[in-house]
Amino acid sequence: MDTIYVIAVAIVKTAVYFGILMLHVAYATYAERKIIGHIQLRLGPMVVGPHGLLQPIADVVKLIFKEDIIPIKVDRIVFRTAPLISLTAALSTFAVIPVDKNWVIADINVGLLYVIGIAGIGTYGIIFSGWASNSKYAFLGGLRSAAQMISYEVALGLSLVGVILMAESFNLTEIVNRQSELWYGMFLFPQIIGYFVFVVAMLAETNRLPFDLPEAETELVAGYFVEYSGIRFSLFYLAEYLAMFCMSALATICFWGGWTVPPILIKALPLLGVIPGIVWFLLKVYFHIFLFFWLRGTLPRYRYDQLMAIGWKILIPLALLNIVVTSIFRYYS
Amino acid sequence: MKLNEIINKIFLIEIFKGLLLTLKMLFSKPVTIQYPFERRKIHDGFRGRHALVRDPFTDKDKCIGCMRCTTVCPSRCIYIKREKTENKMVVTDYIIDASRCIFCAYCVEACPVCALVLTEDFEYSSYTRNNLIFNKEQLLKNWDEFASKWTRDVYFNKFWQPPGIDPSRWPKTKREQKPIPIKRVIEIKKEVADESAN
Repeated sequence: MDTIYVIAVAIVKTAVYFGILMLHVAYATYAERKIIGHIQLRLGPMVVGPHGLLQPIADVVKLIFKEDIIPIKVDRIVFRTAPLISLTAALSTFAVIPVDKNWVIADINVGLLYVIGIAGIGTYGIIFSGWASNSKYAFLGGLRSAAQMISYEVALGLSLVGVILMAESFNLTEIVNRQSELWYGMFLFPQIIGYFVFVVAMLAETNRLPFDLPEAETELVAGYFVEYSGIRFSLFYLAEYLAMFCMSALATICFWGGWTVPPILIKALPLLGVIPGIVWFLLKVYFHIFLFFWLRGTLPRYRYDQLMAIGWKILIPLALLNIVVTSIFRYYS
Repeated sequence: MKLNEIINKIFLIEIFKGLLLTLKMLFSKPVTIQYPFERRKIHDGFRGRHALVRDPFTDKDKCIGCMRCTTVCPSRCIYIKREKTENKMVVTDYIIDASRCIFCAYCVEACPVCALVLTEDFEYSSYTRNNLIFNKEQLLKNWDEFASKWTRDVYFNKFWQPPGIDPSRWPKTKREQKPIPIKRVIEIKKEVADESAN
């Protein structure tokens, strides 16, 4: 009886999570178009609904009813599984991400390792789609993606080691709890170098500008998913935005104190303690999502050799330095 | 490398400056004009669809068939058909190929009797090329459509009296040209309905 109860709760939680996530992804596309539009002094979508608010729904309907074209010379099985791999990997990461106190589907002890590992599987979707499409552009996109992911996953992992050293745990809930014990309530300040490395690596991991070389519109048309259309095309988009949310959530949990507010702020303004944790969590995630769009609206794409140079020559040494400094500090205090 | 440059490189000053600029732009007013719903103001001297002025006193066009517009036209898109009857030249047809026109308004400046005008209509796209070749009848209809939408009582085109030339060298009719009183033949409501039907 107990097992059934646990499974039922997990299923309900997953369903709620899934619904909220899909809504977030849909409106993240809307927010992106609006924000980029206003940065360029345009208006963005305005026609469907008031201020274009129904645009994402119209887009979804359009994508579902579009013809799903599969080119003749593609590797059919791999071509069909690739978007599913991307999507499944992106969705699975959310299983361990806590959004509030006790609000997590699976509270496992190696949560952080799990997220990084599963996010790495998403790369297979991109490489498979690039290979199976039997197209130059897609293949180049896939190759670039492989090289980029391998380089930046190292930096991403190393930047989180500092956090692990501070929290002495891989459990994401435990990491947040440890931060709320500090008077400033965030690992952001002692781990500022780690946070910088993490933000740059997360941009590269999610294929966002300025590191969107796998799908560089101006060079590779759309990169690894040129040959996809209709619903399969949208699955890749879904995976990309889910990965953005996942990385934002990870940044929030590891560096910004998750759903907690810094104790010093609560002491100064006791009213802040009334606001539920989920609101703080979402605010912090939205800030990171905004950061993605903001950087996209500001920076041009890096050249391929510059991308590799930043990854191997700057970010990894910085992350290593961060680990050494943090270790020494932890050992003597 | 100077210390300044090193600091710039380490703290990514340039990138933060760029971020600040885009943030400023994010909160400034967009410049978009949402075209079918709102239009920009049309300024004086706008050169749009061609029309032959319908004389409010005779209800006919004022063209005398002097061929000056045909001669001056840089893209050679004006064709005038004339016939000689009883020692008198009669203009039987007046054709402007709007798909070749470059809207320089030389024809309007050259016309000695102010018979031709480039109106402020600009929404006359068409699915066929034939619809863009205006004959005399169509050109007069263009004027009626334009005049019906004109809000003031009189109309005077800026190019009827070319400012670069001394007024004493203008033809007499051009010098004495008065603003034309407007006759609204087509009701505006009907015009709007026609547009939506197209």
